[in-house]
Amino acid sequence: MKKFLSVCFLSGVICLATYPFVWMFLSCFKTNREIYRPGQLLPGSFDGSSFRLLLDASYLPFMKIFSNSLLASIGQATLATLVSAGAGFCLAKYRFRGNSLIFGLAVLIILMPKQTFAVPLFEWMSWLGLRGSLWSLLLPGAVSGMGVVFFYQIFRHFPEEWIELSRMEGLSPLRTFWVIFPLVLPGVLAFFLLYFVLCFQEHLLPMLLLDDENATLPLALAKLKDSSHRIPESVGMAASTLSIVPLLLVFAMAFRKLRSALRLVSLS
Amino acid sequence: MVSRRLSISSNSLIVLLGPFVGFWLFFWMMPLIFGVDLSMRSDLLVEKSLKVRSVHAEVSDGAYVGFDNYRKAYRDEKFWRSLKNSIQYVLGTVLLTLPLALALAIRLIGLPRKAQGLLLFLLMIPGLAMPSVLSTLFYLFFHGREGFLNQYLILPLGLEPVNWMMDPSFIMPCMIFQSVWRWTGLVTLFFLCGLEGIPRWQLEVAKMEGLGGWSKLRILWMPGIGHLILFAAIFLTVDGFASFSGAYVLLGGSGGILDSGLLFVTYLYQVAFPGGSGRFDFPTATAMSLMVMPFLATLLYGILRIRRHRLGK
Repeated sequence: MKKFLSVCFLSGVICLATYPFVWMFLSCFKTNREIYRPGQLLPGSFDGSSFRLLLDASYLPFMKIFSNSLLASIGQATLATLVSAGAGFCLAKYRFRGNSLIFGLAVLIILMPKQTFAVPLFEWMSWLGLRGSLWSLLLPGAVSGMGVVFFYQIFRHFPEEWIELSRMEGLSPLRTFWVIFPLVLPGVLAFFLLYFVLCFQEHLLPMLLLDDENATLPLALAKLKDSSHRIPESVGMAASTLSIVPLLLVFAMAFRKLRSALRLVSLS
Repeated sequence: MVSRRLSISSNSLIVLLGPFVGFWLFFWMMPLIFGVDLSMRSDLLVEKSLKVRSVHAEVSDGAYVGFDNYRKAYRDEKFWRSLKNSIQYVLGTVLLTLPLALALAIRLIGLPRKAQGLLLFLLMIPGLAMPSVLSTLFYLFFHGREGFLNQYLILPLGLEPVNWMMDPSFIMPCMIFQSVWRWTGLVTLFFLCGLEGIPRWQLEVAKMEGLGGWSKLRILWMPGIGHLILFAAIFLTVDGFASFSGAYVLLGGSGGILDSGLLFVTYLYQVAFPGGSGRFDFPTATAMSLMVMPFLATLLYGILRIRRHRLGK
């Protein structure tokens, strides 16, 4: 009985998590009438006109928006990974003045995310003359308090002897970092992917900071939903599908590495 | 664990730590200082700088008005309303997500590896989708007279179908539902990774002692991932306060009927960029965020510090 209940619970939650997305995928082929009847799963007929409308840029330059999004997110994730890995390595393995202060700083950044002071950031970027370009998104994205704490945890569990050995060999800390960087690659990959997703989903900052020609995916999706009475719903569904499929593929491929890295990080 | 850390030369320190500190100063601290300054000025300068787009804002023009903007924010009823909504939203999300994720993680850990990985991945799908996709799906799939919620939850209970987004008392539950839907998978992944770190011998001892479900939870699971639960709670709190996209897309930029879905950041956005004839009131929006965020950050920081002392680290 208990077992039965537990299976019910698990499958119920899994259904709730996945079924709407199956429905979304199949809705790419539906007419508006069919979409407004959510009980119906299968479309009347499969024709890919919604994808064609989307990719032909009949409503939005989708490919351009998609590549903007990718560029901005990959850029932010790369910068943040490099910057945070260096800082986390220093904090975890070396003794210097201000060590705990900087760690406190990283925690503070987690607690005060940049979205909450988006308005001053907007003003600051206009003052710098960066507003409108992708740089205004990339550069603030390089600071990640979460990243520093993440890499602090990763490097903390790295054997101390290796660092001492490299010191005896006469390597500078910088070289040491460079040498052991490949050894923590699962951690790097995990952080990169998680941060990539967060950047990919960011809505408020691109909306404020970017010009229309640099728009990113969340903005396009919001637009497609808002004007749903002129644009068929299936086009919005197609855009949503295309926005999630790449992420699913990448995560499926890297899932095992991701988990092993998270296991390391989640040790206290 | 006391680590025998080595000393480091200042050159290496600059190269390794410098970028972080530099980016922090330039893109986190400077906007904040800029914001403090901005929040003390009148809103005239903003209109000027927006008129000449692409030309740098002429900062010298806005007259200092002291704490007027703070006073204005303090008297603004909608501001307090949005704060109250955000607190509700955060509490709802945290109190629902954490137990659900913990229960899921404990269910999953007993499963064979392959099945576990697959189910975990399926659970994570909503977390990978964009909040705006979740909103759209919510609107089309769950919401509505024939939507999933009415068909499978309300009608079987013998109640009248609910008009979710048009009824002020149901907007907030909808938003909380959406947030829980989004985060449960990722938090479960996190918890599961933590549970796997619990030594095997402890599990065996628990089995030999014949611990029941409840005492197992109290003695075995909770101490193992207590710190992760705290961390997830803090992450969800901060994210809840900073969240914008889901509510924005769901409610089309408004606060919903009677502002019952107006979140803090959405309101900041409304004050700073009012649609139509409103005035761009950047200074007041900045004052509002400066009234809330440092306070919240200090509170959470305090909680973290206290916990760390108790754990003896």
